[in-house]
Amino acid sequence: MNTKPMQTHPHRHTAIVPGPDAAMIDLTIDGIELRVPEGTTILDAARQVGVRIPTLCHHDDLCTAGVCRVCVVEVEGMRNLQASCATPITRSIEVKTNTRTVRNARRHIIDLLLAEHYGDCNTCKRNNNCELQDLATEYGVDFYRFGHPTEPKYVIDRSSPSIVRDMNKCVLCRRCVRACEELQGVGCLTVASRSSRAHVATFANKPLANVVCINCGQCINHCPTGALTEVDQTDEVWAMIDDPTKHVVIQTAPSPRAGIGECFDLEPGTPMTYQLNTALKRVGFDAVFDTNHTADLTIIEEGTELILRLYKALVEKDESVKLPQFTSCSPGWVKYMENFYAGMIDHLSSAKSPQQMFGSLLKTYYAEKRGVDPAEMVVVALMPCTAKKYECNRPEMTSSGFKDVDYGLTTRELARMIKETGIDLPNVPEAPFDDPFGEASGAGVIFGATGGVMEAALRSVIEMVTGHQVEDFYDHANILPVRGIEGARMAEIPITEVGPVPDLIKHLVPDWEWLKGATLKVGVVHGTANAQLVMEDIKAGGPFSECHFIEFMACPGGCLGGGGQPIPTSPEIRAQRAKAIYQIDESCAVRKSHENPVILQLYEEFLTDGPCGHISHHHLHTHYTPRGKFIR
Amino acid sequence: MLLTGQDNEKAVIRELMTSIGSERSELIPLLLAVQDEFGYVSEFAMQFIADQLKMPPTEVYGVATFFHFINKKPKGKFIIRLSRDMSSIMKGAKSVARQLRNDLGIRFGETTPDGMFTLEWTSCIGMNYQAPAMMVNNEVYSNLTPPMVHRIIEECRQEISIRRPTMGNVGETYASMLSYASHEPNAALTRAVREMAPADVIGELTVSGLKGRGGAGFPTGVKWNLAAKAESDLKYIICNADEGEPGTFKDRVILGKYADMVFEGMTLAGYAVGATEGILYLRYEYTHLRPHLEAVLETRRQARLLGENILDKDGFSFDIRIHMGAGAYVCGEETALIESLEGRRGEPRNRPPYPVEKGLHGRPTIVNNVETLATASCIVARGAKWFTGIGTERSKGFKLFSVSGDCARPGVYELPWGMTVQQLLELVDGVGAKAVQVGGYTGELVPASQFDRVMGYEDLGIGGSIIVYGQGRDMLEVAENYLEFFVEESCGQCTGCRIGNQKLLDGVRLLQKGTCSNRYLNDLIGLSHSIKSTSKCGLGQASPNVFIAINAHFQEEIMARPILAA
Repeated sequence: MNTKPMQTHPHRHTAIVPGPDAAMIDLTIDGIELRVPEGTTILDAARQVGVRIPTLCHHDDLCTAGVCRVCVVEVEGMRNLQASCATPITRSIEVKTNTRTVRNARRHIIDLLLAEHYGDCNTCKRNNNCELQDLATEYGVDFYRFGHPTEPKYVIDRSSPSIVRDMNKCVLCRRCVRACEELQGVGCLTVASRSSRAHVATFANKPLANVVCINCGQCINHCPTGALTEVDQTDEVWAMIDDPTKHVVIQTAPSPRAGIGECFDLEPGTPMTYQLNTALKRVGFDAVFDTNHTADLTIIEEGTELILRLYKALVEKDESVKLPQFTSCSPGWVKYMENFYAGMIDHLSSAKSPQQMFGSLLKTYYAEKRGVDPAEMVVVALMPCTAKKYECNRPEMTSSGFKDVDYGLTTRELARMIKETGIDLPNVPEAPFDDPFGEASGAGVIFGATGGVMEAALRSVIEMVTGHQVEDFYDHANILPVRGIEGARMAEIPITEVGPVPDLIKHLVPDWEWLKGATLKVGVVHGTANAQLVMEDIKAGGPFSECHFIEFMACPGGCLGGGGQPIPTSPEIRAQRAKAIYQIDESCAVRKSHENPVILQLYEEFLTDGPCGHISHHHLHTHYTPRGKFIR
Repeated sequence: MLLTGQDNEKAVIRELMTSIGSERSELIPLLLAVQDEFGYVSEFAMQFIADQLKMPPTEVYGVATFFHFINKKPKGKFIIRLSRDMSSIMKGAKSVARQLRNDLGIRFGETTPDGMFTLEWTSCIGMNYQAPAMMVNNEVYSNLTPPMVHRIIEECRQEISIRRPTMGNVGETYASMLSYASHEPNAALTRAVREMAPADVIGELTVSGLKGRGGAGFPTGVKWNLAAKAESDLKYIICNADEGEPGTFKDRVILGKYADMVFEGMTLAGYAVGATEGILYLRYEYTHLRPHLEAVLETRRQARLLGENILDKDGFSFDIRIHMGAGAYVCGEETALIESLEGRRGEPRNRPPYPVEKGLHGRPTIVNNVETLATASCIVARGAKWFTGIGTERSKGFKLFSVSGDCARPGVYELPWGMTVQQLLELVDGVGAKAVQVGGYTGELVPASQFDRVMGYEDLGIGGSIIVYGQGRDMLEVAENYLEFFVEESCGQCTGCRIGNQKLLDGVRLLQKGTCSNRYLNDLIGLSHSIKSTSKCGLGQASPNVFIAINAHFQEEIMARPILAA
């Protein structure tokens, strides 16, 4: 068993960090003496001794920009103020962070940003969660010294199904540009023009829906203001809830429950699973289900597809079968493939994402069981993701005969609905998920973290193929080699023995002996910039081309770092959310997808010809569209 | 087979790539070449180039929209760009502009309906001595009068101007450049290669006290020494010929008359620091100089002054290529210049690291001004001692000054450091001036009461542009012109420079209208200091100078307007 970490995306402007054998340098910040490795930025050094320097363009996820100049400080012996985020310490210096010159300069910068910032805080989604507003408060802005715009300069771009761009609120910090390029490798956004005309633009300033955007929403998560927000569908969902003729159900993905507490001032990583169920019922949903069921189902379907692909490719030597197989549950990643690697979409598993599988099942299996007319049903999905809004609108997502999922709500939108209902989420009693689905497995929960889909798949594959308990190989069924934070990693799982294979999948291939002694090679990738590296590696015949199965997640950290999650985000916050997710998994009675009784019942009652059978193909699988990169 | 428009564009771009290259660093040359073919760069062309260079098309769009001379939509067959620098304004650019508007029936920024003419303002084109001046496509016309531009338009209409020789209209500039004129060609390079170790060349320059002539005044010997010490398989010598400071044209004159000395200086630098590649970064406005410069380079290659084993020195290889700018004043800043050489928006980098450690493509890079390199040739040829014998204690040697504005003898002057402003005015016959701008728009506006100040690093130690303002000049008009320039040329990164300069410009206009309160004027003065202290590069650090200066020296004029502008 080994893991091979791969380099993450090589940035042009790297984050400023000390080298491995940096010398130690003494300095003082506001009279406080400290020692730091050479190359540490003034900002990082100040944080170490608890000196707060305000920032705006700086973000812990992104490379240094040094453009807003809010973080300027005085360095003894230097004529001008220095941007602390962009100034590495190379000699013993004396830094002052709160002199009159510094305060005046910061105040002036904030005044100037406000002089260009059109919009009203009360009507802004980021009200009370806005870095510009915080700065204005912190620096005592009590009037608009250099004026304030009375008219918008830009038309609000509402063309995208996922993202709204209101450039009137943009402060040119470029965090969205850097997130899109550095984390996601998409490069949908750039700074165009120059001088006071400089603005963040799409290609040729076209509407977002018309350019290459994967709808991941990382730009939203990294925006300090309300310039980038999700498409808000709460009013539409309220209208459905308030309509007595509608049967409105909601499925909740694992990541929102690990993050939504942050919207209610809880520490990141406080799980809210069962409080959320109560809140959703009080909001007015007729039933609350756990998307993890269809995560479990995804494991069975995708795992089955993998076995079929492996058999065809390795035993039957069918060269038309593409390996490695790629996961397809992240709609941002799927769109990324369709745009950037359109020629390789056959590598994507045909399995739908858990959201869409559930939608189809709810409007068929559930509707019948419950005796409701699917035409009067409304399926809402609570997702950590803005791309899910795009996904549920894909024309092919109608296998129930209706739009399978009507609305994809982000964690942030749902938090607003809960607040609007007057519910104090952290203090409501717990409630279970509703029948007929009830509780799902811990394997489904960890879908929220990078490596989770792979771990869930391996828990099932190892048991179903070898006939042994996964705990025989991994303590507590925690498959640590696929966990971690490296942007792209690989692991090898030797299959030492085979069988007896359970009936559910036994019929799929004539015999199973060919797997004996094989080594399953898997990869885990998150952030599409890393995906780009892996895709190029595969094209070049590198180590990842030898993988059999690769998990790709569009967002850094996986879904828990999704573009629909609470703002702010940072590596630490995502690590806390991941901890919560693994904690929920540990507390689950069932932790393997193939042991989820609901899934087994589904195959008995509804998907009667088994995994990857005709019925499951109709309801649970889909196809992709090669879109390419060129814009007409 | 019938080719579609896009197929044709693809074929042309592929062809251009075979000659220009298909690296990211060739992005701007490629965009300019595509524009030469089609008149503009289409959205499809941007996407196709992006695809070929393996970069997001959005980034190509970001680069294309940064540069003034890259057209994103079709423009007229003749693009007329009238220079808007203060020397041109003083010499009647506004009436020339009116004549152009009336002749063409369009406003600035527009194209005639028949697609023949596009009319634009542009920043200084380095013709201040013969102001007003304009470019028609790449051709320069100077000493313009309304009847003249009327004739030029008529000629363009008949398309006869296409046959006009390109250099013809630039004309002679009055130039008094003794040391340059008496430089024995390649004496420095020959001496260095035959008699001196690389370290000795650097030593000679260090002793000479030569400081960068672009304006920043960094000691040249120190810069070369840092680059020499930096370890790398590749190093670059860049000659900064992006002379964009309004009012300066000395580099144009040097490149026209003494290009050999500049290339000699670059080769010397290559020898001294161990670089093999030299790049002359030539501003787009000087496209008319390119054929001449290419010819000089070719002659030098023939004479084994460039190429392998230069002057038979084993292992000393160095060559120079010309890279065109695309219209951005800020690219005169060395890190912005390097960014644009790498095919990016010309935005100054965070420093450190400095270019001598990590410059072009992350390699040690020397960026020197045209004059610095030519002067280095003089110094190595004649010895540091000769050079230190000229000038003052802290300002060694001589400097070239571009003089324009209200004086009888504008031109390029080679003068020793240490003269007072008054002495200079006597020399150029501008005595009695109201104020003198020393060091270009980023320099200092010196009022008559301070004409005893010394030009040298101890006092007014800045670039070589001198603009003389006579008694009738309106200082608010001057400030407005400067700030319009900085607002246009700011790269837009730093908040203070991007928004603050616009606020200062608005403030000047309030003063012109007489509706700027004292309190607000004080706010703007405070803002000026914050813009200066918080900006990343020299542009923002200097752009508010004029605002501070008119308040300090001409407060009565700007508040009460006691004089009428001439």
